[in-house]
Amino acid sequence: MGSRNGKILAAIVVLCVLGAGAYIAYAALGPSETTTDTRPEAKAVLADSDVMVRAVDPDNPQLNGRVFEVDDGKVHHDGDLACERVYYAAGHGICMAIAPSGVDYEAKIFGPKMETEHTIRLTGLPSRARVSEDGRYGAMTVFVSGDSYLESSTAFSTRTYIVEMTSGRAIAQLEQFGVEKDGKPFDAVDFNFWGVTFDPKDSDRFFATLGSGDQHYLVEGSIKDREVKVLRDGIECPSLSPDGKWIAYKSRIGQSNRWHLRVLDVATLEDHAVAEERSIDDQAEWLDNETLAYSDGHNVYTVPADGSGEPELLVRDAASPVRLSDAS
Amino acid sequence: MYQVEASKALLKPKLWARRSARLNVPRNVVMLGMVSMLTDVSSEMVATILPLYLVFSLGASPLALGAIDGTYRGAAALVQVISGFAADRWRRPKQVAEAGYGISAVGKVALVAAGNTIGGIGAIVAFDRIGKGIRTAPRDALISLSSSKAGLATAFGVHRAMDSAGAMLGPLIAFGILLAAPARFDAVFVVSTLFAVLGVAVLVLAVQGRPKRAPRVDDGTPPPSLRAALGLIRDRRVVVLLLAAAVLSLTSVSDAMLYVGLQRKIDFEPAVFPLLYVITAVAFMGLAIPVGQLADRVGRVPVLLCGYALLFVVYGALLMSSLGYGLLVLCLLGLGGYFAATEGVFAALAGAILPEELQASGLGMLTTVISIGNLISSVAFGALWLTLGLRGAVLVFAVALALAIAAAVPLLLRSQQAPVHG
Repeated sequence: MGSRNGKILAAIVVLCVLGAGAYIAYAALGPSETTTDTRPEAKAVLADSDVMVRAVDPDNPQLNGRVFEVDDGKVHHDGDLACERVYYAAGHGICMAIAPSGVDYEAKIFGPKMETEHTIRLTGLPSRARVSEDGRYGAMTVFVSGDSYLESSTAFSTRTYIVEMTSGRAIAQLEQFGVEKDGKPFDAVDFNFWGVTFDPKDSDRFFATLGSGDQHYLVEGSIKDREVKVLRDGIECPSLSPDGKWIAYKSRIGQSNRWHLRVLDVATLEDHAVAEERSIDDQAEWLDNETLAYSDGHNVYTVPADGSGEPELLVRDAASPVRLSDAS
Repeated sequence: MYQVEASKALLKPKLWARRSARLNVPRNVVMLGMVSMLTDVSSEMVATILPLYLVFSLGASPLALGAIDGTYRGAAALVQVISGFAADRWRRPKQVAEAGYGISAVGKVALVAAGNTIGGIGAIVAFDRIGKGIRTAPRDALISLSSSKAGLATAFGVHRAMDSAGAMLGPLIAFGILLAAPARFDAVFVVSTLFAVLGVAVLVLAVQGRPKRAPRVDDGTPPPSLRAALGLIRDRRVVVLLLAAAVLSLTSVSDAMLYVGLQRKIDFEPAVFPLLYVITAVAFMGLAIPVGQLADRVGRVPVLLCGYALLFVVYGALLMSSLGYGLLVLCLLGLGGYFAATEGVFAALAGAILPEELQASGLGMLTTVISIGNLISSVAFGALWLTLGLRGAVLVFAVALALAIAAAVPLLLRSQQAPVHG
């Protein structure tokens, strides 16, 4: 390297360092809105059910992810929880969020006053959260970036944990459960589980998605037996209705990453479409035995589960809808 | 965890640079290591936050990216052979490498300008892959041609250590930026672009294009023809080396799959999984140089075979019914040692026997054979896991790897013999 090249290189290094420093400083110190005026806005809320939602406002870090309760069309701001995904039942809640460090994720297990009781470190992007009707178990799914430092591959996989809500401990990981298909043991390197839904009457029993290759199986499992059984293909993010008779789920359109919402009759395994025609990537929530709530990432909508009617806006600027039963 | 890594990883490149004088590693190799390190920082910064960015800013599922990425990895393998030959044919390995690094840098600029659609991001990931495919063979040729034949494994060790240091630093820098400026992904993209530009600048300004072992261009010999490059496969020593690379890579399971297997064996503590990568990468980084030196001193073939023997031991651990944390860490250190003893040493074995005018072509062939072998072995391992279960799949691969090592011994020894004339 001649001294001329050396000087040019030194100049480029200085320019790059200054440029990077200036840009980071600009980004870090730049204007950040602290107003919370644009909180979620409720439209028609069903008379017999209240919902909990998380606010969606990516441009406003102070508001984004805040948990709100919607009660008779009025929006309450309850506590300081900010979550990427939230669920709550019978006095126990899961809030999957960015950890205070800003670079890790954690799950806060919270109680009826939205106070954090336990914290569990997570190893990937929050994806799905559910709590059983009796508040005994929780389930959470994270996306793990399997990106290897050595080969720089960008493969993704999911991990799903079962949490005992009172102790706040992850007691099982579905990836380590035994799997049975057509009466025989079933295993593959690319097994991924996601989207748990608990049986409203028996919290030990659950349904979930098992992904392997291009297949997405509906599985039924038992926590104490640490086992799941494959029921059928083509079902992601199942969600059981409060009466346990129906499963709302995401149906993949071809091999794409686009999905339609459909509803399955648990007894007959027959299914039908709902009136929402857009692609929805969400685990639907049942507001009652006839109505689904879901988010398109921006707003929360409802649609009748029997395939009739039209999607209706429920809460603007919100996601992760949770039905709150009147008891709690 | 990341913070601790940060301080360690930050210190390391400097130590190496200082030590490199004592190691007697050519300055050109250190500079090429620097180029790879800066470029890897740039790529890994983006790779780390892309899932976050996709989910929080674009509302897309990270799985979409997995599909995008897989598509282009196969294509990149083939680009390697072509760019290797082009580097030899034009006798300009540095310029071809510059094109490769340049394409990746342009991709980063595009990310800043147009990175707000899935399609745009897909195209940029493709750019990065193709750039990587183009630059690998001519860069390895430059490393080889800059080093004395006696110090090849050390030189490649230095390069691979710096390369993986960059891959470790990238995520830390990205997280650091997001810590200072939450949700400002644009800042990560801008800084990543600057790292990529710096990498290209070091390559253009500080790397010698015609190092000491490079063939003379002014002595009137014509540039190597395609026939001459293809003729490499008729060179007995090159063929046996490629054969050894094929059988060994066909029986080596990718580390990503091994992690999945290891994770089934230990308890499910959520915090453990990312640590698997980190421990392996740190071991690889720390061992690459000393193992390279060892290979130059006691022989590259035995060191390479020891590397694959370590992989065999890790297979053995996967056959055990359960695994404690102590054994798990040993497995990961073994895996890091396996990478250290094979990654750079294979390139050194090839660099030592390839004619100077066909270094890039030959090294391109070697990396292509290895990456296609690994691709096939991953698919085969996945299929075996599905039919025989994890235990059965590991058993088959352990037996196959033992046979491959046995077969590779005579092949590798023959590849390193003095050329037989006549």
